[in-house]
Amino acid sequence: MPVYFIDTIIIIFYMGAILIFGLHFRKYVSSTEDFFLAGKMLPWWVISFSIIGTNIGAYDYMGASGGAFRFGIAQANYEWLGAIPAMIVSALLVIPYLWRNGVYTVPEYLGKRYQASVRTIEAVIYGLFLVALLGIFFWASGLMLHTYLGWPLKLSIMITAVIVGVYTITGGLAAVAVTDVVQCGVMFVGGISVAFIGFWKAGGVKEFFVMLSSTHPQHLKVFLPLDNPQLPWLGMIFGLGLVLSPAWWCANQSIIQRTLGARSEWDAKAGMLFAAFPKIMVPILVVLPGLFALMFAYSWIELPGPFKWVLPFPAISNPDQALPWVIKNLLPPGLAGLVFVAFIAALHSSVDSTLNSASTLWTRDIYQRYIRRKASDRHYLLVGRILTGCFVIFGVIFAPVTAKFPGIYVAMQNLLSFFQGPTLATLLLGILWWRSTKWGGFFGLTGGVASAVVMFLFKMNFLYVAWWSFVASALINVIVSFFTSPEKPEKLRGLVYRFLERDEKAQKILRQKVEG
Amino acid sequence: MNFFDRIPLFSAKIITAFLYLLLAFWVLKRPKSFILEGAPTKKRWRDLRLWAFILIGIQLALYFIF
Repeated sequence: MPVYFIDTIIIIFYMGAILIFGLHFRKYVSSTEDFFLAGKMLPWWVISFSIIGTNIGAYDYMGASGGAFRFGIAQANYEWLGAIPAMIVSALLVIPYLWRNGVYTVPEYLGKRYQASVRTIEAVIYGLFLVALLGIFFWASGLMLHTYLGWPLKLSIMITAVIVGVYTITGGLAAVAVTDVVQCGVMFVGGISVAFIGFWKAGGVKEFFVMLSSTHPQHLKVFLPLDNPQLPWLGMIFGLGLVLSPAWWCANQSIIQRTLGARSEWDAKAGMLFAAFPKIMVPILVVLPGLFALMFAYSWIELPGPFKWVLPFPAISNPDQALPWVIKNLLPPGLAGLVFVAFIAALHSSVDSTLNSASTLWTRDIYQRYIRRKASDRHYLLVGRILTGCFVIFGVIFAPVTAKFPGIYVAMQNLLSFFQGPTLATLLLGILWWRSTKWGGFFGLTGGVASAVVMFLFKMNFLYVAWWSFVASALINVIVSFFTSPEKPEKLRGLVYRFLERDEKAQKILRQKVEG
Repeated sequence: MNFFDRIPLFSAKIITAFLYLLLAFWVLKRPKSFILEGAPTKKRWRDLRLWAFILIGIQLALYFIF
């Protein structure tokens, strides 16, 4: 791919600017609350764009464009049915409970609601997953710089690590969230530019869709038949829409953490809800390029005479090449650099959020609980920063390993998917049903995970595994809870629906605690 | 052919629309005081239920079109 001078300038300018901008926030960090929760000062609009920046990674660009190339607009389900309802539920049900209880992490809430073992299991699993993700993120961003600019691979990884590591270690969540806003803006400018160029080449929006519906009518259907190997409609609705997506938007620490740093409960809820508006538009960024590639990436053979023949196969053999093909063949110099910056921004916003959330989980739920219980706030701030630094170093060292053994990423994804359904069932029952007991929570979580493992061994589609492990976990939780003695109301005050929304006294106490 | 294979594809849209309407009903039932907790003013645009209804409306339109 040819690299123009203007593209290189744009990329270097972006990386320098984001480092300086992120470093600006170091002066606001003097306590753990500042570091992990941005001093509880984040306004709703920063939270919104930070959530979207964290949510979209470079893998989404490549994978979703490839998915759209193969299956069409059904890929957008991951951004619509697989996000919007869950974001509404997260904003109007889950976030108020977490925010009012002043917790730093989702496992911390589960520990308060059930027992310490539930907190530890959740913290270790999510903590491990986030740390493993770092190696993959560093490798991907190094590979991008290496492929596009020709910089040495190790140097490319180091550049990403230094830029993101420095502002995350010094500025904490505030630096992460505010740089996410900038990165999100860059991503949308890049994505919308691609959409504009694509429609312009097709002769207009209407012309593009008319052309697509005549050549690939199946690609304009949002639901696909049950025999589709990746996006069967039943799995999309029940597995993705009702379980995986709520688990992601209600219990994923890197998503939820910025709402816990909100300056008020309303800002926390509004931040999550407003993020759903740009989320609806994300298919413009990640799905449309796949459709452009489908329409424009055909090989033309000039035959003698007045005819042009179109080969039946597109010029792209691997669907994941759809987006690189669009960048290479459709975009002019300068714009290609901007879109490349959008990739880098997508990766950086995911790396910084992952670093900060992993550090929060390991400091609050593991170190503070099992290694050193009663130390000063300054000590925990130092530990949080040291752990962030360690995770950066680990990510850099681990990056080439993840490339050599891609099975690591798949194994981590599988491990997490076993927990998604049971985590959601445990969290929702914990909030909604006062009768759910600490043992109900423990056995519901572990039993649900065991059922997911069994279903996985029987090679069930992961969307169905998510749904049925959610059902199994909820059932076990209910049954065990009925056979164990109920929790005392004092323990549940402010933690469950019955002792919060229907209890004025509990609301008053929590309000005073938060304001105090 | 099992039971699910016999369900026509358009029923996916009907189920989706039903779930969105159910969600809208649940949002409507959320108490206003709970929604506005922490809001600096009680202006109408701060009622997050309205935001949720707009989102649900857009989603229903998109699933109707495609």
